[in-house]
Amino acid sequence: MNESKRFNLRIDQEICQGTGYCVRVAPELFVLDTSENAIVIVVDPTQDFENQIIEAATLCPTRAITY
Amino acid sequence: MGRIMETIRDLVPPPHIQGIKHFVDYALVDEILRSKHFRQGSHQESQPFFGDSLLTIDHDKHFERRRLQAPLFRKEALEYYEHKELLPLISKALDECKENRDEDGLVRADLCALVRTMLARISAVTTGIDGVDTQERTDAFRNYIEQLGTGATVEWSTEDHGEVISRILQIREGFVKEFYGPSVERRVGLINEFKNGNLSEEELPRDLITLMYLHWNENWDEELPLRESTLYLVASSQTTTHAVPHLMIHLHEWFQEHPEDYEKRFDKDFLKQAGHEAIRLHLPSPALLRIALQDVTLSNGVGIKEGERVACLFTPANRDITVFGGDARSFNPYRETPNVKPWGFAFGGGEHTCIGRTLVTGLSARTDNDEGTDGTLVNIAASLFEAGIEIDPNDLPTYTELSYHDAYGRFPISLTNL
Repeated sequence: MNESKRFNLRIDQEICQGTGYCVRVAPELFVLDTSENAIVIVVDPTQDFENQIIEAATLCPTRAITY
Repeated sequence: MGRIMETIRDLVPPPHIQGIKHFVDYALVDEILRSKHFRQGSHQESQPFFGDSLLTIDHDKHFERRRLQAPLFRKEALEYYEHKELLPLISKALDECKENRDEDGLVRADLCALVRTMLARISAVTTGIDGVDTQERTDAFRNYIEQLGTGATVEWSTEDHGEVISRILQIREGFVKEFYGPSVERRVGLINEFKNGNLSEEELPRDLITLMYLHWNENWDEELPLRESTLYLVASSQTTTHAVPHLMIHLHEWFQEHPEDYEKRFDKDFLKQAGHEAIRLHLPSPALLRIALQDVTLSNGVGIKEGERVACLFTPANRDITVFGGDARSFNPYRETPNVKPWGFAFGGGEHTCIGRTLVTGLSARTDNDEGTDGTLVNIAASLFEAGIEIDPNDLPTYTELSYHDAYGRFPISLTNL
């Protein structure tokens, strides 16, 4: 596992629309909470997750994900 | 100083949403758009233009299509569109205006047409249409986009809808022959070269048409890329074309009433906030329909039966005083909306939130080390102020009569610095 770089993964809860797209592309990093908002479960993922993070951030309809 | 014309209008519900249960509160509209118990209910009449495109498909199908198209809106792609395509094209369009200088030495133009020209090439790039280069070709292409836009929003037309559809389908044949067909042919050829090992994937164009033919799905009908392209061409140019005239007239009035802010006309942060206000107040899609997939009871107790169509009226929802404050009906570039996107439902909501939104509004920084992009609205507005845009008080803009949309049809300007 690459430990050299870690992301600072965040979701803006005010604009998350709960589509769950991030959960579909990166289930290791995101889940939907009981109110169907996405939340981050690994806040500092390693670079191994880069492609999934970028895809989740791009795919999010409200672009609520930053990293 | 008084206002020069009425710039804030109420939504006139067009015939296609009259008689349908409708919602105007921000929270309820948000609830419906977010709910997985509804599906898309708009664009029933415009199926020949948008049918089965990203706009009209839901849930798993929507996710898969969106996933396919998402690379077109990655941060690097947005930066490329903005710096390599949009900014030079804005300058080019303004330079071309100089060729039509009037006898009194002043450069005059129609803002609606000018913005469409600026947007034509960028929409061609993202979609994958070749040959939008000379002024003549750009004019022809721009005209096709306008016509396709009329067909794609036929529900809002004040003309006979059947006649509009038939007329625009005929016009679309010309578009296919002149622009779309040759563009597809070239891309299919390149994809074959790639599959034969003669090209790398990086050498393929990065646009919608290439993506669709590269990742062809056997469940698609042959005309689907044309309808998806129509969506891209219309949506990527119409939002900004719709918004810039509204933004310009609101800022014109704002600077009259707040002359101390006039120096901010080149301040991109100020223009960004002003742009958000303009699209909040004047939505490119003022209402959308949803169809209930099962019996639903909303949080306010209202019941919706399975199969029932409901209308989400974005214009009043975007002026909801409980969300945007007591002056929600007026333009205020300093408005703060900490809990919602400043443009409200201007780009829809839920999974159908416009995929190209970031082209218009720009993309906020994704990481701690980047700056993001400004988007078409801010860049065009800043360029217009640099060109010395002025509205002639004796020849005021007029609204379109061809649609129920809150849109200008004619917007005479002069560009005093050109």
